[in-house]
Amino acid sequence: MKRKFHHPAPSARELNGPRYWRSLDELTEAPGFKEQLAREFPEGAANMDGVDRRQFMKIMAASFALGGIGLAGCRRPEANILPYGKSIEGVVPGLPLYFATAMPLRKGAIPLLAETHQGRPTKLEGNPSYAPHGGASSLLAQASVLDLYDPDRATAHTRNGAVIKAAAVNDLLAKLSSDYAAAGGAGLAFLAEESSSPTRARLLAKLRQRFPGAIWAEYEPVQDEAPAAAARAAFGQDVKPQHHFAKAKRVVSLDADFLNVSGTNLCSARDFAKARKVLKQDDPMNRLYVAESNFTLTGSMADHRLRLASSHMLALAAALAQKLAPSSEAARLAAGLEVSPQWVDECAADLQDHRGECLVVAGSHLPVGVHVLVHQINAALGNIGRTVDFVAAEVSGASTIEALATAINSGSVKTLVILGGNPVYNAPADLDWSALQASVPEVIRHGYYVDETSAVAGTHLGATHYLEAWGDARTADGTIVPVQPMILPLFNGLTELEVLARIAGEADADPYTQVFTTIGNLAGGDAQQSFRKFLHDGLLEGSAYPVVSVAFNSAAAASALAGANAVSAFSKENLEVRFTTDYKMDDGRFANNGWLQECPDPITKISWDNAILVSPKLGKELNITPKGSAIQVARVEEAEFLRGRELAYVGEITVNGRKVRGPIHIQPGLSNYTIILPLGYGRERSGRVGQGAGFNAYPARTSAASAIATGATITLTGERYELANVQEHWSMEGRDIVREANHEEFQKNPSFVHDIGTESHSPAIYGEAGPKNEAALARDQRAVITADRSKDTPRGQSLYDTPDFSGTHQWGMSIDLNTCIGCNACVVACQAENNIPIVGKDQVMRGREMHWIRLDRYYSDGNADGGAFGGEGNREIPEDPQVSLQPVACMQCELAPCETVCPVNATVHDEEGLNVMAYNRCIGTRYCANNCPYKVRRFNFFDYNDRQLDSLYLGPLGPKGMPELVKMVKNPEVSVRMRGVMEKCTYCVQRIQNGKIQHKVRMAKAGTPAEVAVPDGNIKTACEQVCPVDAVVFGNILDTASAVAQAKAREHDYQLLGYLNIRPRTTYLGRLRNPNPKMPDYNKLPLSRVEYKNKNYPPALKDAPGKGSHDHSSLKSALSTGGQS
Amino acid sequence: MSNLFPKSANKLPLQIIIFLFVFGGIAAAGVNYYMTPKFTRVGYAPVQPVPFSHALHSGQLGIDCRYCHVGVDKGPVSSIPTAQTCMNCHSIVKTDSPLLAAVRQSYETGEPLPWVKVHQLPDHAFFNHSAHVNRGVSCVECHGKVNEMEVVTHTKPLSMGWCLECHRSPELFVREQADIYNLDSQTIAQKSGVEAGEKFIHDWNIKPPQSCSGCHR
Repeated sequence: MKRKFHHPAPSARELNGPRYWRSLDELTEAPGFKEQLAREFPEGAANMDGVDRRQFMKIMAASFALGGIGLAGCRRPEANILPYGKSIEGVVPGLPLYFATAMPLRKGAIPLLAETHQGRPTKLEGNPSYAPHGGASSLLAQASVLDLYDPDRATAHTRNGAVIKAAAVNDLLAKLSSDYAAAGGAGLAFLAEESSSPTRARLLAKLRQRFPGAIWAEYEPVQDEAPAAAARAAFGQDVKPQHHFAKAKRVVSLDADFLNVSGTNLCSARDFAKARKVLKQDDPMNRLYVAESNFTLTGSMADHRLRLASSHMLALAAALAQKLAPSSEAARLAAGLEVSPQWVDECAADLQDHRGECLVVAGSHLPVGVHVLVHQINAALGNIGRTVDFVAAEVSGASTIEALATAINSGSVKTLVILGGNPVYNAPADLDWSALQASVPEVIRHGYYVDETSAVAGTHLGATHYLEAWGDARTADGTIVPVQPMILPLFNGLTELEVLARIAGEADADPYTQVFTTIGNLAGGDAQQSFRKFLHDGLLEGSAYPVVSVAFNSAAAASALAGANAVSAFSKENLEVRFTTDYKMDDGRFANNGWLQECPDPITKISWDNAILVSPKLGKELNITPKGSAIQVARVEEAEFLRGRELAYVGEITVNGRKVRGPIHIQPGLSNYTIILPLGYGRERSGRVGQGAGFNAYPARTSAASAIATGATITLTGERYELANVQEHWSMEGRDIVREANHEEFQKNPSFVHDIGTESHSPAIYGEAGPKNEAALARDQRAVITADRSKDTPRGQSLYDTPDFSGTHQWGMSIDLNTCIGCNACVVACQAENNIPIVGKDQVMRGREMHWIRLDRYYSDGNADGGAFGGEGNREIPEDPQVSLQPVACMQCELAPCETVCPVNATVHDEEGLNVMAYNRCIGTRYCANNCPYKVRRFNFFDYNDRQLDSLYLGPLGPKGMPELVKMVKNPEVSVRMRGVMEKCTYCVQRIQNGKIQHKVRMAKAGTPAEVAVPDGNIKTACEQVCPVDAVVFGNILDTASAVAQAKAREHDYQLLGYLNIRPRTTYLGRLRNPNPKMPDYNKLPLSRVEYKNKNYPPALKDAPGKGSHDHSSLKSALSTGGQS
Repeated sequence: MSNLFPKSANKLPLQIIIFLFVFGGIAAAGVNYYMTPKFTRVGYAPVQPVPFSHALHSGQLGIDCRYCHVGVDKGPVSSIPTAQTCMNCHSIVKTDSPLLAAVRQSYETGEPLPWVKVHQLPDHAFFNHSAHVNRGVSCVECHGKVNEMEVVTHTKPLSMGWCLECHRSPELFVREQADIYNLDSQTIAQKSGVEAGEKFIHDWNIKPPQSCSGCHR
């Protein structure tokens, strides 16, 4: 007899009450959604498309015959061991080596440690020597290793279509150098990406010396840094701000997505989380005010979120400035702001109360005026020198792409060298760059892919990946970090530094020499020794930008503001368009990265596509909001709802006479008349992965309106388009999933999480004590109770032999929902560590994505009323919801429901509390996935590792085999799973085992072999290690002093679906919000709690005796009378 | 109708059942014997590119295992020596031997010598040498008396059941740390009885994993 869970029967309250919901379809209980809920896997998941049974048998007959022939060769094939000819220092086969390097991106870099297996980089981690990042890294850094092994990257240098050898390239560059030297560089032009590399700056100086007449232009379609003109106007100096979010108790963000860690914001996110984290009852917590047009991750963390068009940020900044540092310019600009004056007043008052410990930041895409005002506000609040410092910014002196275009038009450019970038794809549309580039007699393009730009360049030089090139870069704070190669260039690529050095006529163009020279000059002392230290540490100590003192110059600022004008209101006929950097594709450079393409957007949850995001109000005006009781995103008829596929309307946007079309997704939380166009998709020439994914928004973008455009209109084309939206997959039927409270409630009742949810009614699970009573104990006592409980699992009445937890360690995890910013870095870090395949858009639409961690995103607006799905409160798509984020992976339940149903014992417990998968035993019944209450098990419907994504359905005769290049990225410590096997998170069991073994070996060699318990912090899971905000803590819960045991002992620690008594080893820390009671949009309870309350204590029951208590008798009596007593 | 089946047909069901039992038993026994590593792997002694004799180097000359297999106590793999390791001695000893031509060539060119793998675990089994040799398990337990082998031969089945024999009762197999690389040594249990083995297991806190995660990831 197997253990059987008796879910509590839904009460009348539960049936009638409002609740959490995570997609609009769920909110409205669309029939398709309900059907999907009832299924184990989405429809089509078990079918073979395009192959009927008869055809299958036909094809199989052939392979049966082949199998017969093959039997003769069933002896195991001979395998060889190939040792090195000469020993290599430091290499112990089977053990990884770690080298310091860095991922450069625009003007920043993320310092990394690369894990290499016999010279093959497989995984990147943050470099812990760089203190501001503390060993964390980002989504893009995690995924960048896959680009190195991209089979679609440029594999040769070509000239006019013919492959040329490296020697010919050198001759070509030498000829270029000597030809133009005579004329002083007239006719020569360069177009490069932004870079922070000191070596490039040095080479650029040499280049300018040699070719004074040459044009050097830099272009980036997106900006990480605030416009330099603003700081110049405000302070009369070339400075740039360095924000210290950790010191800021109040933060106001004007359209700034500073928590988007994809760019150079890793420090910001980390620091913000430090001030956000609440560990004890009396810990302070920061407060975040966000005004934004888009719905960003920063907005999802906001305590007060104001939906406002990006064009109106100037007025809001002026209104704030008017309160804090009044001036006539501010008063003029603030006029006509359509925001509740109370919002501005109270926000300003809150800032005034926290002088010197608050911070106002503005999005880098906003106009100069906003930044000037922000500088003014920060100066007036005394924040400069405390929460914001200014450092000297280098003046690049580079020309712009517009100036270069003018020069090309005048015919003065004879040779154009394009270093990186992809201007044909992403240059402002008004330049018509493709035609311009074609008009230049000779174009030499240095690029990683043969892309849109290479197509109109006569010569293409293959570039190196940063993991195969020597280089250097600066982090956001200016620290110089090395870019160290892990492997020789796979396809003889050239680095940008080498190309520049050759053109500059350097005697030794070798990039190593170039970097060595630069660092030698900067570091001083013994060059060899300091360079070795530089490479070893992964940074040059003391090289951060020095802080300069600044004084706000109000007269100059006022003149800078004089030209700015307030923008009038928007409407359906006059829409604002906001071009945003995509969370995954960045500006389009990662388009061919399968890990990133498949990773769902953190807010929209769309993978493999971008979409035109419109507000619910605009959706209604466009008449694309579904009618009747079923409200669904961008779908009219419920019958057209194909499970998992979002059948979106295709819209056409006209802005300044330019048109783009793409699928429309209604996104709650947007400013009413702002349309969001995420950049980076719609690549025409990128490779097998990126081609054809999404639509290209660049054609609507001009130099004058590169981030914000106004006067746009939108029309429907009548077509429909399927989007792979994962937000409805794996529903947990919204209950007390994410538990939230306001900070003031937490201060009174730190164990608020135990007043929510079904466990609060079911003390039987914990015997006498119950979670609520335990929460009242001291933390150390609780840690001891947790440790004791982990060793001993009550068998109860079950015949099922419960696992034996006799191990030295008992592993557990704690996830802090209060700091989780939903950046998706853990999702891809897990994918890289655990050899998780990508499955392609078609498979994602069938619900077969393989990510072991998913990030759930729940909306709540507090209006979901008692009538759950028919009530008035549910008929509208909420315009201004709160967001709750929650990462969910396998919880390693002590009494795991998946184990009891496995017919072949493929998933069983080990003695240290891991719910392990023996892939070789798995026969693919999928019972375990069916029985998993968290829906975290993933099934290999196809041999995703061995098949191209477009030939999954070709059966046994289809092409098979992983490209050699792709094999190289696999982690050799983890099995590569085949078709028909279930898989899931195992707390990185390979890291646990290796950590244990290494510790045992160390102890045995030290003469203390009995000490086998691994010290806390030695073993980190991939998600823990990458997490920019340290939300994930993993360790041994038997060790009550460990970080995880301490985290679990906090009062607001709770189990997800704890009432099932499956004893998950992963627990969550409840989320806190910190709203200002004086604000007009203040909610006494988080909106999700309002819904929870409405659902469980509906107004009909309010009059019943014992309302709001956990008194079962009163509940029963209320139910028996239908709440009418 | 009555003549359709002869009377002997009454016995047919029983005969079929007996046949199936006998046939099934033979088949099961056959598979168990002929298709398990005990039969398929034990005795495997492939011809190597260089006729290296462990009996000479390890047995007669007494070179420690770790001189060549340097990674064995550090990492998961007991690495096969590089040609450079061979040349440490053979640049002085037997410098002109034609048998060593391949080694000299490998050393000069860097091209690896294609040694044939004798002991091979399936890809889903993750064995770690350092975890064993540092914690009381001698080379000889899995590899046999290599110091007496002219040609390295597979002597133990290395099947999962065989691994588990030791993981279930390690006290019978552990050795003193000084005896790990001495292939002629005896286990603690052989020397001083099972109790001494049990004491060692207790003192060293040895708990060999018996669950899947110990070897499968």
